[in-house]
Amino acid sequence: MKPVAFKYDAAVSVSDGCGALRDGANAKLIAGGQSLGPMLNLRLVRPGSLLDVSTLPEIREANETEAGVVIGAAITHAEIEDGAVRDPTGGWLRAAAANIAHRGVRNRGTIGGSLAHADPAADWVIVMTGLGASVTLEGPSGRRDVPMSDFVIGPFETALSPDEILVSVFVPKPAKDTRWGYWKYMRQVGEFAKASATVLINSEAGASRIALGALGQQPIILSSDVAEKVIGERMEVREALHDAFNAAGLPAEPENLALHITAVHRALAIAHADNN
Amino acid sequence: MTTAKISLTLNDRPVEADVEPRTHLADFLREDQLLTGTHVGCEQGVCGACTVMIDGRPSRSCITLAAACDSADIRTIESFDDDPLMARLRDAFSRHHGLQCGYCTPGMLATSYDIVRRVPDADNDRIRRELSGNLCRCTGYAGAVAAVADVLSQNPPAALLQPMPRTRQTARSATSPEAASSSSEPISASGQHTASVTQIPDAVADGVALSREVTIDASPESVWRILEDIPTLVTCIPGAQLGGMTGSRATGYVTVALGPIRSNFDGAADITTSPATKSGSAIGRGIDKLTRSALDGSLEFTLSEAAAPDKSTLKFDALYRLTGPLAQFGRPTVVAAIADKILSDMSDAISAKANGRDVDPVDTKPPALNGFAFAWIAIKGLFAGLWRRP
Repeated sequence: MKPVAFKYDAAVSVSDGCGALRDGANAKLIAGGQSLGPMLNLRLVRPGSLLDVSTLPEIREANETEAGVVIGAAITHAEIEDGAVRDPTGGWLRAAAANIAHRGVRNRGTIGGSLAHADPAADWVIVMTGLGASVTLEGPSGRRDVPMSDFVIGPFETALSPDEILVSVFVPKPAKDTRWGYWKYMRQVGEFAKASATVLINSEAGASRIALGALGQQPIILSSDVAEKVIGERMEVREALHDAFNAAGLPAEPENLALHITAVHRALAIAHADNN
Repeated sequence: MTTAKISLTLNDRPVEADVEPRTHLADFLREDQLLTGTHVGCEQGVCGACTVMIDGRPSRSCITLAAACDSADIRTIESFDDDPLMARLRDAFSRHHGLQCGYCTPGMLATSYDIVRRVPDADNDRIRRELSGNLCRCTGYAGAVAAVADVLSQNPPAALLQPMPRTRQTARSATSPEAASSSSEPISASGQHTASVTQIPDAVADGVALSREVTIDASPESVWRILEDIPTLVTCIPGAQLGGMTGSRATGYVTVALGPIRSNFDGAADITTSPATKSGSAIGRGIDKLTRSALDGSLEFTLSEAAAPDKSTLKFDALYRLTGPLAQFGRPTVVAAIADKILSDMSDAISAKANGRDVDPVDTKPPALNGFAFAWIAIKGLFAGLWRRP
């Protein structure tokens, strides 16, 4: 038995949970616990109480709308991988989910937990940013939607206020003929990515997007102008990334830059081969 | 002391138990239920030895709280004695030498059972990928992969796992009397903290390199003057408190947060400087008793005139090595991102002071700052270095 002693409650509802977060001394949410679990066992995290939202029915639903799919925060990676949740992208989410850590982790880890934890190397952080998704946060004063590009604001840091709960993520249905590529670099299966990139190609609508992840901070989104140039091969990936690193105040360390350049090239190749 | 009541199905029989909320499922199975077939390896979700079936899905029992398994259906290796598919796997593991000491085997078999049922068309590459979350330290993986491939080649009944509903209707509450005291542990910065006696290393072995340049909106002379004023200087460093100075040795501590992790690092650094060239070096060590982690760091730095007038450039090359539980989360890119954030806050504070503007002391806002202590220690060494003139 490794963690410090704490109080444990299973939340009965999201609003009840927000109240518990506000009133609890050093209260912390837990869903699948696949990132928090190791931190608890190592006593890196010492909560006064844990509030378990992993089985809350209201955040274990996925609903399809005309514009996309709203995925409840407590849906597991494995459920997305297995197609138990409608994938508005025609398989991109399933493929990304299938490469998260290991099956044993995917069976309990949740999409909302991963986003709220905001590990810079997490798959959903970069994939949802690349897809232009948004998250819905609920707090005592109601709900608000935050685009992924504004949600993660630093390493393990998000726009969530202490008494808010991430209840769902909205994944927009991509426009017709949109192509997609996601690639991450890992030395072995299941470890934290050292570089990652997503490429979304929809040049007709001028809605193409290239995002870089596993930077130790929040993802970088290339400007749509630069993204179009890179996709149209009117600009070298190296040049675009060098500029983007500079603009973000990240030093263009050769190894790190090289890994991200490779990630963009691979993601581009996957997107070009995408027959969706 | 035990107040969480759970009722679950364990190996096909109903079980009711009182568990302390912090008990993980593996400990509950082994120590309360005496089902020692579930092995505990790393206890941090990496090795897969503790893998059991929760609601029909292989899961790591060491990072699943027993309290979270109320109304769940748990199957451990003991329940597979009469399972014909597991019998085939056991036989194949024996024939293909898929085990030697056997420590990883219960987890390997649970994962393999899932592979055979869920991915009936898996080839060797896929089997390797699917098994990659189960570590073996003696036999290697060839035998285990061959065993799974063998069973698959016998055309076992394939049954895709359907997602199991995991809903729970009733709220439960479990309170541990110790919880109150643990939550009031001094995780935040506190004045009671005293700098510990820290042994400083001669060199940082196997360090990770971190180089940065930061521009400060003030002339090198005025920046240098501020850097000489230790108490002022420390207020420019987010979350930092100076303990004291003895000769060339500076001591102090810092409170930093990384997501849900809070750390208090006590540190000491030895410093040499050259005022003539506005450069120097520092070497130090910080210990965080809370996370039982240590940081060794060394640093070379120079302050110079920047291209624009009334601007200076602070350049440093650091080498750091983090050990202990915190090291898992101190990936180099994360450290660099945090160092950048700290440097940016610090250079803002220094340039404000150099230009005669009053600023909020940075040490009033450590709770809001996300930063890693070891990055700070390197920076602390940098500033401590400016205090000593050889």
